[in-house]
Amino acid sequence: MAAHSLGSRVVLAGLGACLVLFVVGPLLRLLFEASPAGLAQALRDPELRDSIVLTLFTATLATLLAALLGIPLAYLLARRAFPGRRIVQGLIDLPVVIPHPVAGIALLLFLGRRSAVGGTLANLGLEFVSHVPGIIAAMLFVSAPILVSGAREAFQTVDPQLERVARTLGDTAWSAFRRVTLPLAGRGILAGAILAWARSISEFGSIVILTYNPKVASIYIFDRFTAFGLKAAVPAAVILLLIALTVFILVRLLQPSEQR
Amino acid sequence: MIRLEGLQVQVGSFELRDINLQVPQGGYALIIGPTGSGKTTLLEAVAGNARLRAGRIYMHGVEVTALPPEQRGLGFVYQQYHLFPHLSVRENIAYGIRRQGRNGRGFRERVEELAGMLAITPLLDRPVRGLSGGEQQRVALARALAPKPSILLLDEPFAAVDPASRQVLRRELRELHQREGITTLQVTHDFDEALRLGDVVAVLAEGRVVQSGTPEQVFRYPNSAFVARFVGSGNVIAGVVERTEPDGPGRTFRGRFRGEHLTLDVVAEREGSIHAVIRPEDIVLSRTSHPDSARNHIEGMVARLERLGPITQVHLDVGRPLIASVTTASAEEMDLRSGMRVILAVKTTAILLV
Repeated sequence: MAAHSLGSRVVLAGLGACLVLFVVGPLLRLLFEASPAGLAQALRDPELRDSIVLTLFTATLATLLAALLGIPLAYLLARRAFPGRRIVQGLIDLPVVIPHPVAGIALLLFLGRRSAVGGTLANLGLEFVSHVPGIIAAMLFVSAPILVSGAREAFQTVDPQLERVARTLGDTAWSAFRRVTLPLAGRGILAGAILAWARSISEFGSIVILTYNPKVASIYIFDRFTAFGLKAAVPAAVILLLIALTVFILVRLLQPSEQR
Repeated sequence: MIRLEGLQVQVGSFELRDINLQVPQGGYALIIGPTGSGKTTLLEAVAGNARLRAGRIYMHGVEVTALPPEQRGLGFVYQQYHLFPHLSVRENIAYGIRRQGRNGRGFRERVEELAGMLAITPLLDRPVRGLSGGEQQRVALARALAPKPSILLLDEPFAAVDPASRQVLRRELRELHQREGITTLQVTHDFDEALRLGDVVAVLAEGRVVQSGTPEQVFRYPNSAFVARFVGSGNVIAGVVERTEPDGPGRTFRGRFRGEHLTLDVVAEREGSIHAVIRPEDIVLSRTSHPDSARNHIEGMVARLERLGPITQVHLDVGRPLIASVTTASAEEMDLRSGMRVILAVKTTAILLV
């Protein structure tokens, strides 16, 4: 940008500061609301502990599933020109623009016992509605786009010619991918996976429709708030915020410095 | 040995057609051609990275057309080197040495040997980031040679190297080629490189091999105006030949070439539209005319002189520009200077018609 006058710089900085304060202010307020004693007290509640463990477990499983199914797709989207690539790309990004309760209702219709898919799976012993797999399904739905786009961008930063060089040096297609592309895209993919994991942990809107019980942390907090009021919800909210902050810092550390 | 038979490759709207080429065992072949003539595509096809529409590729007498790149046993040095950025120089060089060899001592020794040959031993434990163009070039070459390929493919290997390093690298490459006995196929747009390095040269234009042979043959006897201009064979003049002697028994006849303000007696094989190629060293300059029937005599004027060490290039104006080359000693003896009128003598047999 060109040089600005002192006045315009003050205006720009002022506007930016307003937004930064608006984001940081409530979070700081929340952090200072909880006393260490209150947090310790809250953590003694087995229901909260269970909900945190359940959240971490389901989010991890959803992320692993998203990685297993999404990384090959991300590679195809980044490297191969195939008919319908743009359509697949659009479909994968779709969940980002769908309101989460809408996603929850769609998943409920698709995976409920009365649908063909849900009924068949239920007969095989895999129940979604009001069961743990429902949580994982909702998390996968909302977080997979994040992992796929993160991995796709990571693959796009790797020069495709490097794999061709590896091939001439005796690598099969798979080992060229494993020895060259994967290590070079690894940080980007991991950052995408952590973001997807964080997105799963923060999910509420679709899980609340699909599986209210057993409760993940976000539903537990909502439940405390509606049943016992603000004071009862704060310690759990702070704990979830701390988990989210940890993830956030991890992702920042993984990103190359120029993108930070 | 590499043999290409009727290769046809399509990349986007570009097509490589009817490529036939043979590189003898241990030979050094150069593909030359202007930018966009399909040189890199040809190398990619030999490496197995480009899908063929037609044709066959043989290496050492065995057909490899259907083999994936990793089974062709070749080394490929790319124009932009493409070193692996996540590996050190040593790891880059060792990349292609197969696993069974990795544990053995031969593996380390091979890396050290190549690093020694290419004078990059001090760089071995450095990351590849921050290496100069010439250093990257040497690492890429060492990496390609490490698995002892029987065939080496080089894509404009000196393009991104400064001229001083280029000369050194060229010499080293030639030495390496002799020491390792690798059949080499190199792509370049520089005919000078072909003259210095190649046993065989093929000129590529718009996806076709327009001429191949030894560099000397191609340079002395270009088969088209395009090749003559591209390799710098000499003055290329467009014109028409007509017969000046009655039909005889031989394949050739005496004729008269007319074109671009010049009329020349020539020995021709056919009449009609044609290009005359006159090499600069076949033009003899003098101050006075000594007519004889074996030579053409043309009046001209010296436009300017260009001294290139022991040789001087004389830029002449004979109604069109012509370049003659004389020894600098004789240029001085004749006291050639710009604006001077001279007589050009060219033997009828020295005019190549293409």
